Amino acid sequence: MDRPIQLRRRRLLAGGAGALAASSLGGWGANALAASSIELPMVNGKRVLVAYPEKRPLIVLTSRPPQLETPWTVFNDGLITPNDAFFVRYHNAGIPTSVDADKHVIKIGGNAVGKPFELTVAELRSQFKPVELIAVNQCSGNSRGHFAPRVTGGQLSNGAMGNARWVGVPLKDVLARAELKNTARQVTFNGLDTGVFGGGDFVKALEVNHALAGEVMIAYQMNGADIPMLNGYPVKLVVPGYYGTYWVKHLSEIQVIDNEFDGFWMKPAYRVPDNDCACIEPGTAPAATRPIGRFTVRSFITSVVDGAHVRAGQSLAVRGIAFDSGQGIREVAYSTDGGQSWRGAKLGAELSRYSFREFTFGFTPGKGHHDLRVRAWNRSGESQPMEALWQPAGYMRNVVESVKVTAV
Amino acid sequence: MSIKKVCATALVFSSCLLAGPVGAAAKSISLPPDSAQLKPSSLEGYAKAQANCVACHSAEYMLFQPPTAPRPYWDAMVKRMKAVFKAPIDDADMPAIVDYLAKTYGNEQPK
Repeated sequence: MDRPIQLRRRRLLAGGAGALAASSLGGWGANALAASSIELPMVNGKRVLVAYPEKRPLIVLTSRPPQLETPWTVFNDGLITPNDAFFVRYHNAGIPTSVDADKHVIKIGGNAVGKPFELTVAELRSQFKPVELIAVNQCSGNSRGHFAPRVTGGQLSNGAMGNARWVGVPLKDVLARAELKNTARQVTFNGLDTGVFGGGDFVKALEVNHALAGEVMIAYQMNGADIPMLNGYPVKLVVPGYYGTYWVKHLSEIQVIDNEFDGFWMKPAYRVPDNDCACIEPGTAPAATRPIGRFTVRSFITSVVDGAHVRAGQSLAVRGIAFDSGQGIREVAYSTDGGQSWRGAKLGAELSRYSFREFTFGFTPGKGHHDLRVRAWNRSGESQPMEALWQPAGYMRNVVESVKVTAV
Repeated sequence: MSIKKVCATALVFSSCLLAGPVGAAAKSISLPPDSAQLKPSSLEGYAKAQANCVACHSAEYMLFQPPTAPRPYWDAMVKRMKAVFKAPIDDADMPAIVDYLAKTYGNEQPK
């Protein structure tokens, strides 16, 4: 069932303006703005694509607040995900739609700073030395829709991730001005987005040592341009190697506190089983949980999709992307026989340890079916499981993916 | 000071950049309408869900859940909307809303 669907999706995405048409799917509200529709490879996977402000048509997970998934073909276009294709994830519908960047203020305070102060974005840009980093941002629940058994929540395929060149100021340099007390334990981050009825404001926390380690950044530029509004204009927290839940958009308030923050989005939300695999037997409940943290290792073939037909007896050039939480990718192995035998893929240049890294391999398929798999290792020896791990919230999926092709 | 207003008109939804002489200044967007609506139903909870749920969020939150989602999930979500997000849902309306959700989007859908 997946095969014709995948092919249809490719045709729709490749159709460009000619494919623009109102969705006439039953049960959908009339929306002349839906560019096209696709069927994600999961039960109940029908989605429309809509062009939101500053975005090309993206897969709509939810309209309000906007949650938009990147169409898979984008990941084969290059290692950097364009701003207009970058995924969008909000939790509350009270999102800012008009922001004056120069006047936007970040308040720095909390009970563990000696000197609270306010910083405009204009001051952030002019008074600190900027840094630049290419880093992947990935939603905690990327690929949730592929869990088996299924779990509830945002039913994403694999497109809630992206790789961008971020420019901003190290968080530690900003915090240095606040004169942290030695009681400082955590740093919390809030943005302009709010709950419609005031509850459930999206606030996240990092350990103070992490916040001061140097890599966490207050970014004001994404791929050489202003950050799109829906990705956090005018400033966004960049937490390299950590899931997107910590990358607070429209950053407006930083608090250094002497205790452990236990707001809803830290507890009970965004937690994983507190064991080595962050996994449990399907249908059971974890004995203990911890806040979600670093990315697991992932790799994906991007040049050929599941269900594709390829030419038998002709060399097929395969490419894809791999990433981890910042150790850097050391090796990608590939299999063309469903994991029976493996060989090393060729790695491309390392743009940064936090970036997508390209891999390539070639093979000449004989007539018939071929199950292509790729498996990455990072420099700590961490890799991907052959069988998917399971957890109730559907985070951190990183199973070795299977792309089945038929050579004719 | 001259303010230059640049609007992208290629997209249906406006995205305007008010660019001052130095650097970026104000940016405004307008968001598109919802792509999906709640599924009509003769169940009592349909009208209550329209009045309560979609005031805060669009219908895909329900529409895209796996059809295996059981009644306790819908019950927990409705309660969370009130307890965490302060949605002004009347406690007396909750059973009907949960019933509509479980029977329309969950594992109690007619086969």
